[in-house]
Amino acid sequence: MSSIRNLAKNIWKNRMIYSLLLPGLVWYIIFAYGPMGGLTLAFKTYKASKGIWGSPWCGFENYIYVFRDPSFLASVWKTLYINIGRVLAGFCAPIILALMINEIQFHRFKRVVQTVATFPQFLSWVVVSSVMINFFGYNGPVNSLIAMLSGRTINFLGNGKIFIPMLYITEIWKTTGWYAIIYLAAIAGINPEQYEASKIDGATRIQNILYVTLPNIMPTISIMLILTIGNLMSAGFDQVFNLSNAAVRDVSEILDMYIYRITFQSAPDFSFSTAVSLFRAVINMILLLTADRAAKLMGGEGLIG
Amino acid sequence: MLIFRKDKKYANFNKISMFDIVLIIILTIVVLSILIPFINVFVISFTSQQEYLQTPFLIFPKKPTLKNYYDLVKDGRVLIGYRTTLIILLIGLPINLLLTTSFSYGLSRKGFPGRKFIFYLVLFTMIFNGGVIPMYILIKELKLTNTIWSVILAYGINTFYMIVMRNYFSTLPEALIESAKLDGAGEWKILFRIILPLSMPIIATITLFYSVDRWNEWYYSMIFIRDANLQPLQLILRSIVIDSQVRAHAASSGAILEEFKFTNGLKMCAVVFTMLPVMCIFPFLQKHFVKGVLIGAIKS
Repeated sequence: MSSIRNLAKNIWKNRMIYSLLLPGLVWYIIFAYGPMGGLTLAFKTYKASKGIWGSPWCGFENYIYVFRDPSFLASVWKTLYINIGRVLAGFCAPIILALMINEIQFHRFKRVVQTVATFPQFLSWVVVSSVMINFFGYNGPVNSLIAMLSGRTINFLGNGKIFIPMLYITEIWKTTGWYAIIYLAAIAGINPEQYEASKIDGATRIQNILYVTLPNIMPTISIMLILTIGNLMSAGFDQVFNLSNAAVRDVSEILDMYIYRITFQSAPDFSFSTAVSLFRAVINMILLLTADRAAKLMGGEGLIG
Repeated sequence: MLIFRKDKKYANFNKISMFDIVLIIILTIVVLSILIPFINVFVISFTSQQEYLQTPFLIFPKKPTLKNYYDLVKDGRVLIGYRTTLIILLIGLPINLLLTTSFSYGLSRKGFPGRKFIFYLVLFTMIFNGGVIPMYILIKELKLTNTIWSVILAYGINTFYMIVMRNYFSTLPEALIESAKLDGAGEWKILFRIILPLSMPIIATITLFYSVDRWNEWYYSMIFIRDANLQPLQLILRSIVIDSQVRAHAASSGAILEEFKFTNGLKMCAVVFTMLPVMCIFPFLQKHFVKGVLIGAIKS
């Protein structure tokens, strides 16, 4: 009894702290846990008149239809295909850029490179896609140049074969500078004595990069890798949705675009869409937790706990 | 060239070697490849449609014109977008900041029952979420569709920013809070009178981040809002540039292009309009975010 009374006393004593947490907690419960509760719809037949809670249960029936839909399976493969390529391209580029920026000996030039390279990250994909559609379009400078040299034009964004490399290029263009900043912050934290020591040992600058800088930023690299792998299933909607057009639908319909299409562009079946959503969320969580475990096993730092 | 003046730190460290020259060449190419697409957007926005079509490789217009900007303002849609986005920003940002600061300060305090539980409850939302359809149904059942409140409320706390802020608050000395308590100040008063004035760098960083997020938001608006008069700037830009792409392709072969309402010049004006505010606050962002990232990336 006394322990319960102690707890109650302790809670009462801290009531002001709970009042600080309350607004945020209410928001989390309504707008983060509310939709999570809504995921039960995956196992129900949605009736608009009865709402989420009143609709009748139907077990795994929705999933039978989901796994029978060829566009669903195709979209899963497309998502993995596009995002694995993006991991390879978009993950290495910032590390290389950060190492290069770190080696510059001219302070002002360093600042210019950092400023320019980070800027695109603060624009939405709507803006970046508009810039790219202009740049690579029929009348854009790239095609004008190609036309002047060879007399032909290339349909960069309307050709299924070129479209996926275009995704990688634009992704690198937009995000590299920003992620490089994160690595540069880690590099700034390296103890300068390590460089002094390697200088005494007569190391070249390349050796410095490989044996001092790189090992020191390994923890940051592993965290970034976890985040990227955890996003394999969910990344890329903003980009693909804004850059793609009807001509490249066959290669560009990733899982999130599939969900968007079946929900908002045709007669919606919310149960079916929710079943797909839940599938996506579970796979995401598994990926994230696996990557986290793997990073810890390899001796890096994990993200959670 | 002033920008190639040597950093004092390196003054008597290394001579300029082949390595430096290669590095500078590569990085100059990187900088140019980022700048040129933007420069091209600006140039086209000042070019008349006639000159744009007649010049095969446009570097700078012979007769720069403001007609595109005039036409875009006359069309009016961009102004509607600006209005909506500004309203969302002005109402949404204070809500973001109030929720995030009070919650992260609460979590940074120690020794109250349930602290760990609440923290894990919040962390869980980072690895698992309901996704867009349950969110849409929720907004619909709250009767918020077609109001700006849907967009404002759906984005309340960014858990990552919240944790960055909590980590910052945790580094402040406990003694400050204790002595304020002895003077009889409540937790809310401590937050506003003592903690926030000491945390200006992190508050500035998070404010800028939320502002940029609000400015760039388009996905929730696309799903929750159907009313054309309530569309934010990003969606207006999307419909001007991206949705008209297909029609432009169809039209590019013939003379129909002239009749096409949104010429390339107009489109690029819309792009400039949309990114100009971000460009204006970017120097401040740049100043603050390195610190913010540093604190955040070093780990929760």
